[in-house]
Amino acid sequence: MNKIITTRFGELEIDETKSIHFRDGLLGFPDKKNFIILDHKPGSPFLWLQSIDAPDLAFVMTNPFLTKSDYLKDISPEEEAFLKNENDDEVIIFSLVTIPRGEVEKATVNLMGPIVIESKSRNAKQVILANSGYSHRHPITFG
Amino acid sequence: MLVLTRKAEESITIGNNITVSVLEIRGNHVRLGIKAPKDIPVNRTEVFESIIMENIRASETPMDLENLSESLKTNDGK
Repeated sequence: MNKIITTRFGELEIDETKSIHFRDGLLGFPDKKNFIILDHKPGSPFLWLQSIDAPDLAFVMTNPFLTKSDYLKDISPEEEAFLKNENDDEVIIFSLVTIPRGEVEKATVNLMGPIVIESKSRNAKQVILANSGYSHRHPITFG
Repeated sequence: MLVLTRKAEESITIGNNITVSVLEIRGNHVRLGIKAPKDIPVNRTEVFESIIMENIRASETPMDLENLSESLKTNDGK
């Protein structure tokens, strides 16, 4: 088991069997291919996507269906195909969260560019759903 | 950057299986037809770049998620 020293979480042991791999990197971060998912805390809707390659790179993710319960219901077959792999294996879908500094109430989720992770292979990719009408800055609504 | 001149109804082929055709030229608008394998994403560049920019913004998330967490708990799920 390898160890990395992260900016946010200090020293982390990396269980290679649990890491996820973006073959093409994340968009904008093409050379950052290996990540681990960390729970934020029990009961939290948020998770961290921590880079193994860059200790200071981490994203907040959430389950997009919590914010938009009918998410992906009406997408085209072409776009739906991007969410699957050739074996039609189970995938898990997350959305990255943007939290402007000091303006938590303006937090948004990126519904246009979901993160798709194949459960079995742990391969991941970011998909662009440009024709779906989803925003890359969908407000996280407050009750 | 490779620069090629094409007329309406002409096309170019990229690799073995991507074809970009000029369908129509009207004023300063060009309609393109793109034939590519299903697993090759084709996007308007500004859309692609907006996702890149949003990822960069998302990577600048502050440490403290507590307030957001609390607020989302009262979300009615709309």
